[in-house]
Amino acid sequence: MQTTPASTDTLADNLRRAAIDKSVKGPVLFLFLNGAFWLMASTILGVLAAIKQFAPDFLGACSVLQYGRLQPTHLNALVYGWGVQAGLGAMLWIMARRSGQELRTGKSVLYVAAIFWNIAVTIGLVAILLGKSTSMQWLEMPSFIWPVLLISFLAFAWPMVFMFGRAFRPEGFMVSTWYIIGACFWFPWIFVTANVALHCLPGLGALGAGINAWYVHTMILLFFAPVAIGAAYYFIPKITGQPIASSQLSQIGFWLLAVLGGWTGMQHYMGGPLPAWMPAIGAATGVLLLIPVGVVGLNHHLTTLGKHSMVASSPTLRFVFFGALFYPVSGAILALISNFSTGAALQFTQAWYGFQIVAVYGFFSMTIFGAIYYIVPRLTGCEWLSVRLIRNHFWFSVYGIGAIVVTSLVAGAQQGGDLNSPEMWDQDFMQLALNLRPYIIARAIAWGLITWSNVWFLIHLMLMVAGLGRRSSAPTLLEHDHEEALPHAAHA
Amino acid sequence: MSQFRTFILALIASFGLPWLCLIVIPAVKYQALTQIAYDKDRDGVEGLYPPAPINRQGQLVYAREGCVQCHTQMIRPTQLALDGWRKGWGQDQEGRPAAAIRSNNLRDYLGEPFAFLGVQRNGPDLTNYGWRAPERSKIHQMLFAPRSLHDWSNMPSFAHLYTERLAQGQPADKALKLPKKFAVKEGYEVIPTPEAEALVDYLLSLKKDYPVPGESAAVAAAPAAAAKK
Repeated sequence: MQTTPASTDTLADNLRRAAIDKSVKGPVLFLFLNGAFWLMASTILGVLAAIKQFAPDFLGACSVLQYGRLQPTHLNALVYGWGVQAGLGAMLWIMARRSGQELRTGKSVLYVAAIFWNIAVTIGLVAILLGKSTSMQWLEMPSFIWPVLLISFLAFAWPMVFMFGRAFRPEGFMVSTWYIIGACFWFPWIFVTANVALHCLPGLGALGAGINAWYVHTMILLFFAPVAIGAAYYFIPKITGQPIASSQLSQIGFWLLAVLGGWTGMQHYMGGPLPAWMPAIGAATGVLLLIPVGVVGLNHHLTTLGKHSMVASSPTLRFVFFGALFYPVSGAILALISNFSTGAALQFTQAWYGFQIVAVYGFFSMTIFGAIYYIVPRLTGCEWLSVRLIRNHFWFSVYGIGAIVVTSLVAGAQQGGDLNSPEMWDQDFMQLALNLRPYIIARAIAWGLITWSNVWFLIHLMLMVAGLGRRSSAPTLLEHDHEEALPHAAHA
Repeated sequence: MSQFRTFILALIASFGLPWLCLIVIPAVKYQALTQIAYDKDRDGVEGLYPPAPINRQGQLVYAREGCVQCHTQMIRPTQLALDGWRKGWGQDQEGRPAAAIRSNNLRDYLGEPFAFLGVQRNGPDLTNYGWRAPERSKIHQMLFAPRSLHDWSNMPSFAHLYTERLAQGQPADKALKLPKKFAVKEGYEVIPTPEAEALVDYLLSLKKDYPVPGESAAVAAAPAAAAKK
C-alpha cells in the first residue's frame, strides 16, 4: 500500500481520484443513506423487541408487534437493510479506488438495482410483521423476495468484477480487493444455495434447519467478515501511512478463511437430529477459525503499531480500529459457542444473539462506519459538520454494543446453567423466565442508547448528502492539535 | 491472466468442497429417506416409524407467529445436556422419569418441509408437547391470555387468533373459559379462529420420541411405556 509521494504527479493523481469518486458518487451515497435509515429502523425495532421479551403486554396484544414477529424483522433490517446495502456501497468505492478504475457504464443500472433492493427489503419486512414470516433464520422474508435481492446484488457485483479483472496484475498484491471480490463471489453462491434448498426443493426437514444455520454462519464469515476486513486493510494503511505489516500474513488470513468458512454452521444444532459428523466438522472449523482471525488481528495490530495516537484524532481510523478489534472478539465468541463443551451450555440461549450482534454490528458495522466517515466527504465535497456528533456516535455505539454482547453472553451462561440445573428439572420455566429478565432489560436500554446515536448519524449523513457539510480543505478531526501528525496521503 | 484464473479456481475449490459435502450430497441423499416398518418380534410394536405426520396448516401458523424465536423442538443427548431428564419433555410425565428421553434423529422430522428446531429456549421445548398437553381449552387459554395461567409468563398473547363476539343464548362449546381478571366484556365470548384450532392441532401432534426400530434403548423403553397405560 505505497501511496504516491508528493511530486509533480500529485495533481494528476488527485484529478484521477476525483474522477473515480465522481463516477461512483450517486449509487454509493444512495446505498449509504438508505442503509443508515434501515440501521435506525433496526435499532428501534431492537428496543421494541427487547421490551416485548420481558413485558409481552407492552403496547397491547397487537399481532404486528409480538416478539415472534419483531425479533426477525429487527435482524433482517440489520442484515439486509443496513448490512449488505452499506457493505455494497463501501465495496464499490474501495474497489474503484483500489483498482484505479472509473465506473464506465451502467450507473443507471446501479440506481435501479439499489431502488429495487430497498423496495424488496421494505416489502419483505412488512410481510414479516403482517404474518408472512417463514421462520427460517435470516430468511424470514417471503420466498418471492430473494430473486429480487439476488439480481440487485449481482448488478453491483458485476462492475466490481470487471474493475478487479482490469486491474489484476500477477505481481501485484491487493489484499483488500481480494476480500471484496471474495464477498462478491461468495454471497450469491451462499444466497442461491440456501434459498433454493429451503424454498424450491421439496422439504428437507431437519436438514433444512442445518442448511439454515449454515447460511447464517457463512453469511457472517464469507460476506460480512471479508467486506469489513477488506475495508480495514484499505483504511488502516491509508491513514497511518504505513504499509500493511506482512503480506504473507494477509495471504494466510485470506486463504484460511476461504478454506474454513464454508464448513461452519451446522454446529448450531449440535446434539440435534443431523448426522453427527456435520455439527462436529462445524465445531472443529469454528475453533480452527481462530487462526485466520488471529493472523488478521495480528497483522492489523502490527500495521497500527506506533500510530495509536491517530486513533484519537482520525474518526475513520478510530471506527475502523475498533471494528478490527471486534474481529478477534467475534472469532473468540464463535469458538466459544461452536465447541461441544461450552457450546452445549450456550446453545439455544441469548449467547447466539450476542454473536450475531457482535459480528454484524460490533465488527462489520463499526468498520463500515469508519469507511463512511472517510468516503462521504470525498463524494460530497464537504466535510463532516460536527466533531461532537461523531464522538457521540462512536461512544454510544461502543458502549451499547459492548453492553449487549456482554449481557448476552452472561445471560447465555445463566440460561444454559438453569436449563441443566438439577434443581429445576422437575419444575416449570418460572425461574428461568425470571432469571433472564434483568439481562433483557439491560439489552433494551443498550439498544436505546444505540438508537440515540444512530438518529444523529442519519441526520449527519443526510446533511452531508444534501451538500450542507462544512466547506473546508481540512478534514474534520476529533483532536485538532494532532492534525499535523496526519500524513498528506490520509487526506487524499 | 492465468494468475487471475488460478485465483478464481482456488476460490471455487475452497468453497465448493464444503458446499458439495455439507449441502448438495446430504440434500440429494435426504430425498431417499422414507418411513420404516417396526419389526414386531424385535421392537415389540407394529406400524411405521415415524408414525403420524404433523399438521402442516398449524405449522404454518407456528412459523408466521415466530414461535421458533423462543421454543425449540430438539432434545439433545444426555452427554451434551440434560434435556432428556426434564419433567414432561417426553412421553413419561413423571418428575423423575425412569429413563432419559431419547434425542432426535433425522427421521423424526420426516415429511416436514422445514424442521423448526428453534432459535432460543426462552420457553420450554415443544418436541414432545403432544404427550404433556392439557385439554384443548387450556391450550387455547394459554395462547389467548398466557398470564391467566402463569403470572410470570413472558409469552406473548395471541389474541389476534381469536374472535370476540356477542354471546347468543347459551355460551358456545368452543368459547374460552377465562378467569375473571382476563374475561372479556359481559355478554361477549371468545371463539378460536380456524387458525388457532390448526395451531392447537399442530401442538397436539408434536410427539417425536417414538422408539427407533432396532435400537436397544428403544426396545427397552417401548414395553415400559406400554405397560404404564
